[in-house]
Amino acid sequence: MVYKQQHNVARRVGQAIRFLLALTITAIMIFPLFWMLSTSLKTEAEVMGSQLVFWPEKMRFENFTYVIEKVPFFRYMLNTAVVTAMQMASELLLGIMAAYAFSKGKFHGKHLLFLLVLGAMMIPLQVTFIPLYVMVAQAGMMSTYWGVWIAGCVSSYTIFLLRQAFMTVDNSYLEAAHVDGMGKFATLFRIMVPMCKPTVITVALTAFMGGWNNYFWPKVIVKEQNMYLLTVGIQKLRTSYGGEVTNNYHQIMAGVLLSVIPVFIVFALFQRHMLSGFTKAAMK
Amino acid sequence: MAGRGKGRTVVINNREVHLRPEKYYWSDFFMALPAVLLLILITYYPVAELIRISFTDWRLTSRTYEYVGLKNWIWLFTSKTSTKYLLNSAQVTFVYTFFNIAIDLGIGLLLAHLFNRMTKPYAAMRALIFMPRYIAMSTCGIIFLWMFNTDYGVINRMLEWVGVTEHINWLGEGNLALTSILILTGWHGVGYCMMIYLSALLGISRDYYEASSLDGATGWQQFRFITMPLLSPTSLFLFITTFISSMKVYQSVDVMTGGGPRQQTEVMVYYIYRLAFDDNRIDRASVVALLFFVVLLIITASTIRITNKNVHYES
Repeated sequence: MVYKQQHNVARRVGQAIRFLLALTITAIMIFPLFWMLSTSLKTEAEVMGSQLVFWPEKMRFENFTYVIEKVPFFRYMLNTAVVTAMQMASELLLGIMAAYAFSKGKFHGKHLLFLLVLGAMMIPLQVTFIPLYVMVAQAGMMSTYWGVWIAGCVSSYTIFLLRQAFMTVDNSYLEAAHVDGMGKFATLFRIMVPMCKPTVITVALTAFMGGWNNYFWPKVIVKEQNMYLLTVGIQKLRTSYGGEVTNNYHQIMAGVLLSVIPVFIVFALFQRHMLSGFTKAAMK
Repeated sequence: MAGRGKGRTVVINNREVHLRPEKYYWSDFFMALPAVLLLILITYYPVAELIRISFTDWRLTSRTYEYVGLKNWIWLFTSKTSTKYLLNSAQVTFVYTFFNIAIDLGIGLLLAHLFNRMTKPYAAMRALIFMPRYIAMSTCGIIFLWMFNTDYGVINRMLEWVGVTEHINWLGEGNLALTSILILTGWHGVGYCMMIYLSALLGISRDYYEASSLDGATGWQQFRFITMPLLSPTSLFLFITTFISSMKVYQSVDVMTGGGPRQQTEVMVYYIYRLAFDDNRIDRASVVALLFFVVLLIITASTIRITNKNVHYES
């Protein structure tokens, strides 16, 4: 009996230590985001003062209004939203159609074409960006939405994941739909897509994140300030005074915070889907 | 499945009967076509173009160019500046990749064990640790740039408390700068590895652990002989994906150091970018990009081959 009690105490202590350790690590991991928030609410004196200020005495929102006035912030956000929406639409529509053809379709050259899709996964944008840049420039699409869109207009990874999901749909559903006189598109979007909803949501969220956080390609393609995407635009806050790198970090952090709000909203809404989706993609 | 697509003739009751071939649909073909064509346009065609550009003297600023044969390839392997920068960027990339994989997979596995509790507080903490991944790397870079700031950065100021009064110039020296970049990308990526490892851990049957503890196995033995082998497919997956993404690293370097100080954090992609858009030499950049591509392909393929033999798959 005594032994058992001691055992329980040891277990409890162990669990408490484990919890404290977990809490500390979480605090460290979340600190940079806390620091972003706290800095964005400070004054210049609090940021540059001799004392380290963890939380401003009085929360100020001037930095946010400053950023919105200083740079065409909402224009950047609009640009990002438009390009993200374009990429999500084309990636999903083309991906769903191709995944259907590769899972349930019958046509000559099916295996060859699917090999082409798989092979494309091995060719990253970091290899192809120079010829792509030349293509976009020659097509006169520099600093346009289409120019940014083209590099992410279709994803072999999306096709692959959707195909894996569509393969699990039993053929009898398709035959039943066919007997009932449903066309291919109707079957696809009214039966297959709803049956594979979790994968479709995962793919859509991945496309959203990819579009919203895109940096490398927009930086290459967009040269006009009005057409900047958010990720590139907020970098320019660092050099806002005549090209010189500045230390106005309270204002920069306000811009950073504003730019990530949409991501946090999506994160809050779809958190469960995103976590399970990411792991599902790994377990393919 | 014999005679697929062709149909076949069989003899039934002394009569030749022609069976109808399996039907192929043009409509199915056209469902796949747009995606495949666009994929060819943005991946395979540019690779072919890359090879073509590597044989020209094309400058970014000029419209005309001439074919110059192997000149750029000879330049790549014989010119002093090019070999210097090439070797440097290859070295930086490999050092970065090595440590990034170690950090992501090592700490990810540790965190997966620590956070392997199915209660609400732990679920919330896991979600918070995963959160950085949703923010663009370039944006995270700005936050870390501010934290690593020499005069006012929170890291140097906290170091003051433990007696480091002299402010460290984190981004001013090669190794420290690379360390800073590794901290940023580790912070960004470790939550993902944790989640993948955790979901693999949950997939391991409890029976193994119960049976082995009946036989008197210690915790370490269980980890070494049950957990590790059963996690090896997951580790392989994470290794390959982290390897490829580390080799392609660009955003964090661009924001944090811009390749500096003195090219000491200049990774391969950054070098290609600099040749193409700062020096306007897309001909030379194409040669380096092709070399980078071949290295990426060879290493990925051989890793999959070698590790496939040593990976334990649960049947």
